Amino acid sequence: MSRGILLFAFNSPKYNYYDMAVATAKRVNHFLDLPVTLVTDSESLPVRQTYEFDNILLAPADKTNKRDWGLWFNKGRYRAYALSPYDETILLDTDYMVNSNKLLKTFDLQTDFCCHDTTSFIMYPNAEQEPLSARSFNTLWATVIMFKKTKRAEQIFNCLEMVQKNFEHYSNIHGFISSTFRNDYGLTLATRIVNGHTYPKEDIIPWNLLHVGNKTIVYKNNNDEFNTEYTVMFDNWARGKIRKEYIVIKDTDFHVILKDNFMELISE
Amino acid sequence: MDTKTLIAEAKARFNHNSAKAYLKDKYDSKFIVADQNGLWRANPETINFLNSLVEEWVILIDTFDNPVKVKRVDLLYKLTDTYKNTMEEWYNEWAELEKKR
Repeated sequence: MSRGILLFAFNSPKYNYYDMAVATAKRVNHFLDLPVTLVTDSESLPVRQTYEFDNILLAPADKTNKRDWGLWFNKGRYRAYALSPYDETILLDTDYMVNSNKLLKTFDLQTDFCCHDTTSFIMYPNAEQEPLSARSFNTLWATVIMFKKTKRAEQIFNCLEMVQKNFEHYSNIHGFISSTFRNDYGLTLATRIVNGHTYPKEDIIPWNLLHVGNKTIVYKNNNDEFNTEYTVMFDNWARGKIRKEYIVIKDTDFHVILKDNFMELISE
Repeated sequence: MDTKTLIAEAKARFNHNSAKAYLKDKYDSKFIVADQNGLWRANPETINFLNSLVEEWVILIDTFDNPVKVKRVDLLYKLTDTYKNTMEEWYNEWAELEKKR
């Protein structure tokens, strides 16, 4: 029984996802003791590689997606099932900061596929969950997906491909904006379809995905390579003024939404 | 600039409510235990229920709402152990936090 982590990294004009993947892979090796396979394209691979991935799989990037800050090559995540060399895989976003061995628990869940359905924002404890639209489901999160090589998991990824290719159609049905393809939305729809439009608890990772959101910046508390202690600073707008607030977190995995902040955290 | 200087320069205030919520999030997940083909939460209710029974094997509803037949003492031991250790860690981190008041 093989286990490993799968990362997708396609550099955009603004962000170097390969560098993010290297930093995340090192942390995966350290905290989870698992091998990492990288899916990338030849344009993203540097000439001189300082880190040795378990595998590097070259696949063309679909460069047709964009979001508010620029081009965003996040399509094609459905290829994860076919590309993963492992029997049991955790598909991770490259901007997920691993600080503990918590993800290993997902392999123990009695399921062949699971992802997060709830999030917590650090410094924003009462933030509402994000729906696809005001008249649709709450979104699932593609940031962390554990899957095993089973027929059902394969069907979910095949369905994700179908949803991606017909994203505008689903946006019309569910009332969300289709100009930016989001794997979170695709995954939400794909799992629903494959599960007969039901919502099995088994498909859900039984803890919250911790986000570092907007107006929130994370600072390392020391420069150790595998530092796990951070100060999280938040601009709290109150009565027309910004008040800086902070907390200290340690040994906790989190997902950084602001890519610039993630790049700062992984810089030496 | 180290983070202590940064906090001082920004005149940042420690947010107890956010820190408390963060700790709850962090430790909530540590109570989850996968054992004997079920997924369990190490909480006082489940531990007390297991403790109150005498049978070797019992059937419980796990967190996925599936009935699972378990060896009572083994699960009781695992949940109690997880509960104690997690609460101990949580308490220690909470006590550290309280010093910031």
